[in-house]
Parts: sequence; C-alpha cells; structure tokens
Amino acid sequence: MTSAPVTLQESPPSPGPIRQWLISPIGAQLTAIVVFVGLWQLLTLIAERVPGPAEVANFLYVEITGGSHGGIVTGEFWEHFAITLRRFSAGLFIGFTAGLLIGVVIGSYGMARALLNDTVLVLLTMPAFVWAFLTTMWFGISWRAPVLTVAFVAFPFVAINVAQGVRAITPDLRNMSAAFEVSRWKQFRHLILPAVAGYIFAGLRFAIIVGWNAILLSEWFSGQAGVGFRTRYWFDANRYRGFVGWVIVFIFFIVVLDRVVLNRLQTRAFRWRDPIEVEVELAQQEQVGV
Amino acid sequence: MTNIVAESVSEGQNQAHALRTAAGFRRRRYLAVLLGWLFFLAVWWILSAVLGSEARLPSPPRVVQEIRTIFEGDFWTQFWASVIRVLAGFFAAVVIGTPVGFLMGRSKYWGNFLQAPVVVAGAIPGLTYAVMAFVVFGISFWGPVLAVGLIAMPYVAINVAEGVRGVDRRLIDMSTAYGRTESQVFRHVVVPSVLPFIFAGVRLSFSLAWKVGTLTEVFGSSKGIGFQIRRNYQLFNMPAVIAWVLLFVAFMLLLERFVLVRIERRLFRWRQWERNQ
Repeated sequence: MTSAPVTLQESPPSPGPIRQWLISPIGAQLTAIVVFVGLWQLLTLIAERVPGPAEVANFLYVEITGGSHGGIVTGEFWEHFAITLRRFSAGLFIGFTAGLLIGVVIGSYGMARALLNDTVLVLLTMPAFVWAFLTTMWFGISWRAPVLTVAFVAFPFVAINVAQGVRAITPDLRNMSAAFEVSRWKQFRHLILPAVAGYIFAGLRFAIIVGWNAILLSEWFSGQAGVGFRTRYWFDANRYRGFVGWVIVFIFFIVVLDRVVLNRLQTRAFRWRDPIEVEVELAQQEQVGV
Repeated sequence: MTNIVAESVSEGQNQAHALRTAAGFRRRRYLAVLLGWLFFLAVWWILSAVLGSEARLPSPPRVVQEIRTIFEGDFWTQFWASVIRVLAGFFAAVVIGTPVGFLMGRSKYWGNFLQAPVVVAGAIPGLTYAVMAFVVFGISFWGPVLAVGLIAMPYVAINVAEGVRGVDRRLIDMSTAYGRTESQVFRHVVVPSVLPFIFAGVRLSFSLAWKVGTLTEVFGSSKGIGFQIRRNYQLFNMPAVIAWVLLFVAFMLLLERFVLVRIERRLFRWRQWERNQ
C-alpha cells in the first residue's frame, strides 16, 4: 500500500504522458490508494485515538520480526498465523467433503432434495458467531471449536452449489448412462464430476470467504492462539494500532487469496470452455460472492 | 363442425387434466417439504436423546417451551430493535451506494478509481465492521446501523453501476430526439431500469447484512436478537440460545420467501415481456 508514491515517480516526466497515465486504469487505482492513505492520515489528525498509517506499519514490522513492543511484550506473528491456517484448512476440508457428498445426494435424488433442502437452508441462514458460541459451549476452549465452526459454516455453501450443479446436468446423458448400465462410480467420475467442477469451485470459493470470517470470530470469542485471538488481544489491551494492524493482515490475506489465487485458478481450470461463458459465470459469482 | 367441437372439448379435457396433474405435483411437493421438516425434527430429537444433556443439545419440546417463554416476555421489543436497525442500515447503504454506483457506471475513470475500494470493502470479514462500529459508537443504536450500511453498500454500488451501464442507450437517444427533457428521461428511463439493480444489491447482501447486524449487537448493544443470544451464551443457557437462533432463522426464511420474492416480482414487472421470451 505504501509503495504507491514510488510508482508515481517512475512515470515519464513530461506533463502530457503523466496526465494520460493518471487517467489510465492503473493510474486511477493507484490514485485511489494514495487518496485512501491520505484520508486515513487526515482522520488521525481529527480523532486522536485512531492510529495513523506510519504507526500501524511500524507496529506490523515489530510484530512480524518478533521485536519488542516496549517492555516485555514481544511481537508474535507466524505462530498465530500458522495455527489459524491449520485450523482453517482442517475445518474447510471437513465442511467441503461433507458438502460435496450431501450436495451430490441432494442433486441426484428428488426425495433426498425434498428431505434435506430446508435443513441446508436453515444451516445457510445461521450466522457464523452462533456456531462459534455453540461449538464453544460443546467443546470448551480447544482446537475443536474453531475447526468445527469453519466446517459448519462452509458446509451449506458447498452443498447448495454442488446440488445446483448436479441438477444442471442434462438428464439425457444420465438416462443414457443408466440404459448402458454404466456403474454408479463411473457415472460419478466421468459424467457428474466434470460437469459440476465449476459449481464445486464456486462453492469452495464461497466456503473460503465465509470460513475465514468464521474462524476469526471463533478465535476472537474462544481462542488461546491464532489470528482472531491476537486481534482481540490488542483490542482488549486498548492498543488500537495492534488491532488495526491485524485487521489489515487478515483482510490482505483473504483479498489476495480470493482475487489473485482463486480467481486465476478458476480461469485456468476452465480454459477448455468457452472463455466468454466463463467470464459471465465469474462475474455472476462475484456478485454473490464478494 | 362436430370435429371442431370435439377437438375443443378434448382440449378442455386436456387442460383440466393438466391442471389436475399440476395440483397433484404441488400437493406432493408440499408433502415432501413437510416430510423434510419432520426429518429435521427427528434427527434433532434423536441427537438430543443420544447426547442426553440439556446443556449440550436440548430436545425440541424443551426449546418450544423456551420459545413460549420468550414470546411471553419482551420478544417484540427485542425483535423490533433488530429490525429497525437493520432497515436503517440498508437505507444508509442505498442512499450512499446509489450515487457511488452512478458515478462508477457513468464515468470510466471513477469506475477504475472506485473498483479496488469497493472490491476490498466487499471482502472484509464481518468481524471488522462489528468491532469498528462498537469502537465508534460504543453501546448504541447506531453501531448496527453503521455495520449493516458498510457491509451492504458495496453490493448496492456494484449493482447500480451495472444497471447504469446497462441502460438502453437507444431509449435515451429516442427520448431526446422526441424532445423529452433531461429530468423526464431520468425519471422515466434511467430510474426504472436502475431501480431493480438497487434492489438486487440489497437482496444479495440481505442475509450477510443481517448476520453482521446481529453480530454487532453481540458486541455493542443492550437490545436485539444478537444481544439476547450473547446474554444466554454467557449464562450458559443452551435452550434459550437455540430458541433465539431458531427465531432468527425462521424470520429470515419467512422474509425471504414471502416478502423479498414479492417485491422482486413487482419491481421486475416491467420486464415481463423479457421473461416471456
């Protein structure tokens, strides 16, 4: 974020091109960042309790390098991040696997759909903090609470998307497979799986976004370590620069993961399909998913 | 002649038959949905019996009893407290998000300028908004309003921008050619085509914003559904936690099914011909 002014200097010195560069898409985006940091700095002048950009950057440097925050409090970063990532991927794995299985069942059989659809909708409607509370009441303060919170929150998003994908498979192909006595496993492997890959990916993407929020909440309320716990630690200590620093870290993580990694992977995974169709699909997901 | 009569009679019979089949389908679907809920209850009941402890998972009758107690108490006060705040938040999101969306849709430069902030704002975890609202307002009415407004705003802005870009250029050109004033064009061409997009933004962020609204009540409120859930969590009162969560879920599902779908149909009425094609 702070690298914006450096890039500004790189532009050619003559006035014409600078103006042209400033109104180009990249120029506009960088201007937005500069304006944002400027507004933030301005806010610290008005409200004294708001920590400024330099203060927060300094905090993050100390926290990441493990230096001293003054006194005996030292920076802790990687251990918290590693713990959270481990719990996050474990919870995601459980929720995703369960969602995939139930989603295929709901999408394949009308009866299963009638029985399970509303239950999945109820789960979809439950706020993440409710799962954080319930799992804490069930398991106390342990690794189980955050892992299961992520699993419970991720599950319905995957199940609904996969079910939708399975239902979108043309019945012709399924009828033909049934007529030629293709085994259930082969049908799953060669017919259902490729057709629903896009929906699975969309479900995974939603699951990652809502799961990230869920694990932060769970660690905030009942963690003894992790990103959410550390954020709360600084909040409770009334050190807002620490709080804002960690907020920037976890927002940065999810934006990079979603925009850079998942978005690219998705485009790459479906390059065999009509690119315009994929484009439209991605745009639609963006609308629901951001 | 007789042929025609016969044909129309059989057509009538066909139609009646089709209607009967449709009614049959509908009845069967209702039955299936009912079965689904019974299934849900059965699983819950069995689980609670297996776990065998109220503190882990109370049985359905126990929760129903709790819901009754809540209704005898101050349910409506708590409930309206949440509803009013969330509505105020959506109102703020529409008031601020619509002009931002217009700007993004009308000008390429502002579209690029606001692209990153809007995308990042949409990806921020709800926890951030909830805590921020608490820091800014403390325990107050305005915390949840701010959180809901912040979370719904990017959705409204993105959708309005999409809507503005999609306004039929030819309609505007024709209106101008026939001497309509700028304000008339705005009122009768731009607004009707953008309105559904504002609604779409609200609708897409609806469940997310409600969740963040209640989360904010968990942090900084002395009223509302979120506050009640937290209070009972701290008292370790599992039946009451489940009862409040179920009331929340029931309210959301009912609102979705009966209110939002209807508004949507009304707003998109003018596009009926499009759907018929």
